[in-house]
Amino acid sequence: MESKSIDGQLHDFCHCSGTGEVIFFYAGYFSQNIIATVADAVKMRIEHVGAEGLTRRKLFSSFIEMAQNIIHYSADSYEKPGQTDHAVRHGSVCITAKDERYYLHCANPVLLEVADRLREKLGHLRTLTIDEIKREYKEMLRAETPDDSKGAGLGLLTMARDASEPLEFQFAPAGNGNSMFYLRATI
Amino acid sequence: MNNLFLAATASSPEVDFRFDEHQLSLKGESYPENAASFWGDIIKALREYLNENNCVASISAHVALSYFNSSSTKMLFALFGALNEKAKAGTPVILNWYHDEDDDTIFEFGQELREDFPALTFHDCAIKS
Repeated sequence: MESKSIDGQLHDFCHCSGTGEVIFFYAGYFSQNIIATVADAVKMRIEHVGAEGLTRRKLFSSFIEMAQNIIHYSADSYEKPGQTDHAVRHGSVCITAKDERYYLHCANPVLLEVADRLREKLGHLRTLTIDEIKREYKEMLRAETPDDSKGAGLGLLTMARDASEPLEFQFAPAGNGNSMFYLRATI
Repeated sequence: MNNLFLAATASSPEVDFRFDEHQLSLKGESYPENAASFWGDIIKALREYLNENNCVASISAHVALSYFNSSSTKMLFALFGALNEKAKAGTPVILNWYHDEDDDTIFEFGQELREDFPALTFHDCAIKS
């Protein structure tokens, strides 16, 4: 029996039924340099698929927040011998498009304590209306930065504010007693 | 004190603080790996300049940031807070806030600044795309 043609296989990969079309996918190590370069690719790609200016801005913003959360909070780090200052962490980011909507998915392993905090924050965000999210954003902007936050605690609020649906999340057991964290934002 | 100039990088803006001319400029995108450290140093230099007791007619800031990540947002708030304090102390500080005419996010952040820092002379400058 003939195996599927390579273009057929790629087409299947990019058009998984139910998920819509994959317009961007990266799995691997994230560092600031990698993010800056990948950000350029993401910008061009979302321009190419014809997203509106406002949508492009929101996609880009959510992509940066997700990617930088991976660097700052991922439990899976790669350390080059001698390199201690720049974080390099493992995770994945995927952008799919379906029926005029864009979906940003990210996944990365996190420590159990981090998973607990995320579950709490994201659970809370799901209970808020968009106006309440915007209000909480304004309050957080003016508040003192929490200790555990490299990102001023505003990252998730920023994504929630830009999304057209409540942020979706899931946790699954990962190796080493860590938790695999999945997040999906709808733009 | 010396002027502060930082060239733009892929993930950080151009910072052109000409303290001798009392002209401060920020231009580009901001998503550095460590926003607290990047902006912290800039705010420190700015405070040093603002604390100098030179009688200056006014200070002008030209800010054209097309994107800033969440951690930069917080630091920027602190930066404009410092400028606001100077204005409250008696030196007029003009903030020219540039953005694409259809960029609501940047426009709205400007409005937050205007609301929280009323001592600044705020000019919203929408640019036609």
